Amino acid sequence: MRWFGFGFNAFGQICVQEEAESSSNAANEVKVISPTELSSHGDRSGCRGRICRIRASWSSRACLHLDEESCACLAGFATFISSEFRGCKDAFITESFLTLAFPDRVESWDLQKKEKTPSWTMEIKTQSESSDVNLPLVPGGYVALKPPIYHSLSPRLKAKSLALGAEHSILLTATGVVFTWGMGSHGQLGHGDLTSEEEPRAVEALWGMPMSSVASGGWHSVCISDGGDLYVWGWNERGQLGLPSRGLRKTAQQQQQNSSQQAGASCQEASTSSCEGLQEEQKHEEVFISIQAFPALLDVAPSCEIQTVSCGSRHTAAVTTVGDLYTWGWGDYGQLGHQTLASLDEPQRVEFFKTEQMRVVDVVCGTWNTFAAAVKEEVACT
Amino acid sequence: MTLSAMASLWSKISAILPPNEDQFPLQFSDKVESSVVEMLKWSRQQLYHDTVSTSHMLLAQIILDISWERLNTGTWRHVDKEWRRVYSYGCLFKVASLCRNSPTEDDILEAVRTCDMGLLMGAAIMDNILQRIVRILQNKIRKAAKEEAEDDHAKVKRIKPESRLFPVIKEELAVPRLKCPSLENFNRNYLLPLKPVILEGVIDHWPAFNKHFWSIEYLRSLAGCRTVPVEVGSRYTDEDWSQTLLTVNEFIDRYILNRDGVKTVGYLAQHQLFDQIPELKEDICFPDYCCLGDGDEDNITVNAWFGPGGTVSPLHHDPQQNFLAQVVGSKYIRLYSPEDTDKLYPHQSQLLHNTSQVGLTVRRDSTC
Repeated sequence: MRWFGFGFNAFGQICVQEEAESSSNAANEVKVISPTELSSHGDRSGCRGRICRIRASWSSRACLHLDEESCACLAGFATFISSEFRGCKDAFITESFLTLAFPDRVESWDLQKKEKTPSWTMEIKTQSESSDVNLPLVPGGYVALKPPIYHSLSPRLKAKSLALGAEHSILLTATGVVFTWGMGSHGQLGHGDLTSEEEPRAVEALWGMPMSSVASGGWHSVCISDGGDLYVWGWNERGQLGLPSRGLRKTAQQQQQNSSQQAGASCQEASTSSCEGLQEEQKHEEVFISIQAFPALLDVAPSCEIQTVSCGSRHTAAVTTVGDLYTWGWGDYGQLGHQTLASLDEPQRVEFFKTEQMRVVDVVCGTWNTFAAAVKEEVACT
Repeated sequence: MTLSAMASLWSKISAILPPNEDQFPLQFSDKVESSVVEMLKWSRQQLYHDTVSTSHMLLAQIILDISWERLNTGTWRHVDKEWRRVYSYGCLFKVASLCRNSPTEDDILEAVRTCDMGLLMGAAIMDNILQRIVRILQNKIRKAAKEEAEDDHAKVKRIKPESRLFPVIKEELAVPRLKCPSLENFNRNYLLPLKPVILEGVIDHWPAFNKHFWSIEYLRSLAGCRTVPVEVGSRYTDEDWSQTLLTVNEFIDRYILNRDGVKTVGYLAQHQLFDQIPELKEDICFPDYCCLGDGDEDNITVNAWFGPGGTVSPLHHDPQQNFLAQVVGSKYIRLYSPEDTDKLYPHQSQLLHNTSQVGLTVRRDSTC
């Protein structure tokens, strides 16, 4: 299994330039537009073996090696703490904290302060407590994106997994029910309106359909049903829901106008073309969705089941059961992996893996980048 | 002068920037994470290197993108001021990148737009440096426009009062008019008992009516390239109402002169235009009567309202006492006593609790 990364790389969290000088950080390719294999950290830490899991934030990446001796190693900005943590079984990284799960404890390192010890620790006493750890879930609650680090959760929820957005949370229970809470102004709670919720509230529109996983972007939520269907809701400002986005079309139009202006077109011509653009819009009567306040079923690709989904701040990536990776949403940093900087409001397959005859088995998104795990196809597709 | 025009633009901007990296402040509370501060430091480093590097723009855009995401997190009121400062720094670095190496006319317009975004969404940094930079950029644009228009002696066109029907107002319901009342008269008979009144003759001396007569041409020459927030749609209680950002030129072309043939109404409403364009502030004066209000003069908010005929502000109340100064055109205003609040069915929601659910329509030829 090999991991590939693409998108935002200003801190070297995907790959570092060989000849990067100490002060010239611009030497890192800021936008990695082509899926690039993650190196085996030959230059730094002693972490060896295959990477089993990845977690990523805006500026950093944590890799978990779980084969013989479990260990976590860091790339990007957060390496100033340490480049490896032996015995670590899980990691959760944000801009404020690095949280690590060990068999006997969970600890959080404050990335603002350069201290020698973690700023928060929780002991894990029993085997059952240990199985309660699925970061950011910890026994009795969860660790947040920013201070205060620990928040408690009612045990009645029977939380199985938790995803944290910029201003909301989405929780999956052991029985496949989805709860959301936090700010609702972008429709990200999925209750059909824009009001915020202080306490976890079940997403009623999904009632009766058990969900198998949940994920969260900055202002959008996604979940996969037991049957492999993908549901999306929240902000669609950059097409991150895979639904027609006005913001996307407007920017594309403006970029076209800018290039025609550079070509020497006069102001008069430019205003005429914008008038035409408006008329065209009215003719086609296209329905744009900027906020989807109820879950919507998204057809990612014809007759396919979704296995895994992950979200960056404004993009979404999904892996199908046949090993294809689809991405959509904001693409300014190359995080969609289509080797352009275009944003998309429709799911599109990442052809790189098809070309390389690889089957994608996992995907994890950082804030502005994407990491995909792939294996070589055993049988060539006909 | 042997310096090229564009080189002198950068030297003017450089002159107001700190002389070196050490004197360029980047202080933030711990609300701004270390990784973002690191990015800001890289940008600052780039600014003081002579290298012509494409990464200037790239780093500035990263700062703009990450702070934009924070500005859209939580309610606007609660957005930490530190993140608005970060956004302003992003704008500053972007402007520097645009103006540094032989900027084209489009680069300068983009730089003005960037300053305006910083002034609208950011928070003042380095002694309001974006305001000072936009002044330099505007002088450059105005000079260039003047040189172009030297042969074109366009007459100052006054905005013609529209020939339209006005609602006839019954005498007994009309708001009373007074000519230049004394402060004491106004305070005792109108402000304290909360009675509305129209003060005549009080703003006749404004430069907006005299020295710098407010016309479309004047506004264009003063602020044509500046970006302002525009409300699109009949009224803010409508479902398809939205806000957008346009330059003053675009706003005038599309919504005042209706050059596109667009049917919707656009309104430059409740915007602190006079803070954004200080030259306009010099055309108006604070009425003396303002000193009678509660609180000190720093509590006086000055907003501009600029729109075509047909703009509507739904029935609402404001938390502050208001003076509405009509400079160009006319406005029909309907007022109800606060005692009638219940009969006006305020919206229940937090967002619209100051607005009535009652839609008022006024026929232009009717008697009211």
